[in-house]
Amino acid sequence: MKMIASVTDNDELQLNAYCDGELDLASAAAFERRLADDELLRAQYARLMSLRQAFGSLPQSDVPAGLRARIQSTLDAERPSRASVLRQRRWSLQALAAAAVFGAVISSSVMMTIGHFGQREEVASQLVAGHIRSLLAPQPFDVASSDRHTVKPWFTARLPESPQVPDLAAQGFVLLGGRVDVIGHDPVATIVYKHAAHTVSVTTLRPGQSVSDQAIAGYNVRSWSDADFTYVAVSDLPAADLATFERVFSAGSPSPEVK
Amino acid sequence: MPSKDEREAFDEVFLPHMAEAYRLAQWLTGSASDAEDIVQDAALRAYRGIKNFGAVNARAWSLTIVRNTAYSWLMKNRPKTVVFTNDLSAAEQQELEHEGPQGTRVETPEEIALFKADAEEIQKALAQLQPQFREVIVLREINQMNYRDIAEITNVPIGTVMSRLSRARQLLIARLGDRK
Repeated sequence: MKMIASVTDNDELQLNAYCDGELDLASAAAFERRLADDELLRAQYARLMSLRQAFGSLPQSDVPAGLRARIQSTLDAERPSRASVLRQRRWSLQALAAAAVFGAVISSSVMMTIGHFGQREEVASQLVAGHIRSLLAPQPFDVASSDRHTVKPWFTARLPESPQVPDLAAQGFVLLGGRVDVIGHDPVATIVYKHAAHTVSVTTLRPGQSVSDQAIAGYNVRSWSDADFTYVAVSDLPAADLATFERVFSAGSPSPEVK
Repeated sequence: MPSKDEREAFDEVFLPHMAEAYRLAQWLTGSASDAEDIVQDAALRAYRGIKNFGAVNARAWSLTIVRNTAYSWLMKNRPKTVVFTNDLSAAEQQELEHEGPQGTRVETPEEIALFKADAEEIQKALAQLQPQFREVIVLREINQMNYRDIAEITNVPIGTVMSRLSRARQLLIARLGDRK
């Protein structure tokens, strides 16, 4: 293949990543400086943006009326017909209950301030929300390091109390890094591990809190405590594998140093 | 038989992404009625496979099923439209090298062929793309997915997503932008 013009393949890829918001802040700033100086690059940028505008002006089609209902009845047909009417009614009650829970999540910070009603479930919901948000971000962590000696001081610099960060690579859980989540109004430390294609977020809370093991939005939540912290792990790992994670994490944490 | 919990899981995992699922199917196939059939089929597949949920996130998981369902549907009903090849066709290569935005002539910003394209024109240009280029552009521009999720859904490395996206855009710009 012959070489063409002066927008190189690499620049072209960077330009696309820049337009798609996939460059980190430093790279984006560096790229903007190049863009200001390079006329060819700027011309190509303008083309990409006008393509994007063309897509953006397309009418957004809605789900056709009746499709949702057809899907529901297809799924109903998957069940024995005997109980389906009864169940149908129960589903709508459950939908109501789910809506109530959802409302509770939205107003969670207010709830936390007013009282402790349903606090355990609030915490679990917020932790799952934090986990999901982290998966949607370019990286599920604020500090990227497979070195526990980098992650631990990073927490120490930001939080009043920071957890031990065990290296569990030998047990199949590779340390990715750490992030700070906010539960209620309190910043808390979350350590992020990778196990095959799965991400595990383990958050450390003040000791003595109890969060029940459960599944929320398809993610498993598992909690345990030691003398210093309550730990809550959130992952799409099956419950049994998350139990394994608890075991290796507990075994991997040396007893916390005295501060 | 799927249990009550599975129905709940389905409601939480797949249902919130119905609108996106429909949009994806519609743009991949270019047909609203095909899209309905595909989403309905994909919903059933998602329900039956809800135990396997856990790939990365609910949105990517759901759209992966829709994408795969769309392709099996097209293979069955319109096999000629789904031809995967690894490289650009000779004609497309030609187009990129000689007529595309990377043509050797240096343009000044005033000369840039900016363009407005209506839905029909974009639909037509998309239909002309090979499936692996069409899907990345639809997932990015219509569904607003990030590279990581696009890689997950199309089952290729992020680097491949990036180069396909870049080429798909060059081809679209060449076709939409250079009309006189």
